[in-house]
Amino acid sequence: MTLRDQIIARAEQLPQMPAPVMRIMAYLSKPDADLAELASAIEYDPGLTVNVLRMANSSFFGGAGGITTVRDALFRLGTRRVVQLVIASGVAPRTQPPVAGYRLAEGELLRHSVALGTGAEVLARELGLRAPDHTFTAGLLCTIGKIVLGQFLEVDADQLLTLSSKEDIPFEVAERRILGIDHAELGALLLKRWELPSPIVNCVRWYMDPDAAQDEERDEALDLIHVGHVMATMSGIGQGLEGMRSTVCQDCFDRLKLTQDALIDSMAQMVTTLAEIEVILSRTGA
Amino acid sequence: MKNRLVVTISDMKISRRPRDLLVTHSLGSCLGLAAYDPASKVGGLIHCLLPRAVGPNVQNPYMYVNVGVPLMIRKLAAMGCAKESLIFKAAGCGRMNLIQNQFDTGAQNMAMLESLFTKNGVVLAAQDVGGTIPRTLTLDVETGKVTITSQGQEWEI
Repeated sequence: MTLRDQIIARAEQLPQMPAPVMRIMAYLSKPDADLAELASAIEYDPGLTVNVLRMANSSFFGGAGGITTVRDALFRLGTRRVVQLVIASGVAPRTQPPVAGYRLAEGELLRHSVALGTGAEVLARELGLRAPDHTFTAGLLCTIGKIVLGQFLEVDADQLLTLSSKEDIPFEVAERRILGIDHAELGALLLKRWELPSPIVNCVRWYMDPDAAQDEERDEALDLIHVGHVMATMSGIGQGLEGMRSTVCQDCFDRLKLTQDALIDSMAQMVTTLAEIEVILSRTGA
Repeated sequence: MKNRLVVTISDMKISRRPRDLLVTHSLGSCLGLAAYDPASKVGGLIHCLLPRAVGPNVQNPYMYVNVGVPLMIRKLAAMGCAKESLIFKAAGCGRMNLIQNQFDTGAQNMAMLESLFTKNGVVLAAQDVGGTIPRTLTLDVETGKVTITSQGQEWEI
């Protein structure tokens, strides 16, 4: 059994998504779902309800305050958006603990992940684009493979860093060379197993290297998320041992018609907004 | 026992207490600038995210090199530091692989600092900038010693 196979086998033993989140996620594939039924499914879980209302009322997620019930949130933000917030709320706590293998203290990976998702969303607004509904959630989940590698498998990132520095190769290439798999591929495998929608799985799979995705796996969210990842990495938010050892995909910048001023403004907004979202997600109890 | 005062992203702190260490973590492409007056033993540390603001409304001046650094120097002067005796040391301004120059905020942060200093006849005493490593920058207010820690190593600049 190769190291890659061992890592995948270990990841498959990890617990599933919380049951209420799984139930609610199923509504994504039911465009004609009954809103009252979906609202009840969310309200069944008090932790999820509180988080959905908090997020729905934050200016970042498009609410203007005054949303007091889940049904209100579904009307104002739309079913798909609310279900995405439920997924974010369900998975975020997994990224909160320290990740020893990557030298990340408690909360740092969550901070990086929130910065990435937030960065992708503010960038879309800055560019006058409507970010696909799954953009924030997919951005938030991009680093979940690091949890598996760095926390459960206790991969030693020093070894990865040494190879990456010695041969001057990106950190994710060092992951593939030593482990047989990088954190993005592992994260995508895990999320697929958790039955997350394929647009999310594809964004997580290719966020480090969008040009390697097949055409049918690529959407605008992927480009936004890649630039969100660049913005979060350059800002140093939740920075791990690898620092800035990853590669920028210029094609994403070109496809989005990104300008220097738009990037500067988006980075400023990302850092300013980050604290509000991080507080909501770090308190999640789903 | 030293007291660590953490300077977060887009933040600045000044101290004259000898037991304080001014520390800023996670310098990626951001600029960290330490300023120290050995005569008055006052130190300042700023962590700027970006070279300049795009619009006229600047909510947080410390986010930007072009307004944050001059503001820190004015505050240090107000605490009795002579501008000509301040020692400046810079760190950070890292770069991701293959990023185009127009999006390379690390190089732009450094260029903005150099332009500010050239215009005002200020000399940078030391710098540890560029590359891909993450950096933590520390200024010891008692001694003015500036150290960088990164990937398990520590060195003085």
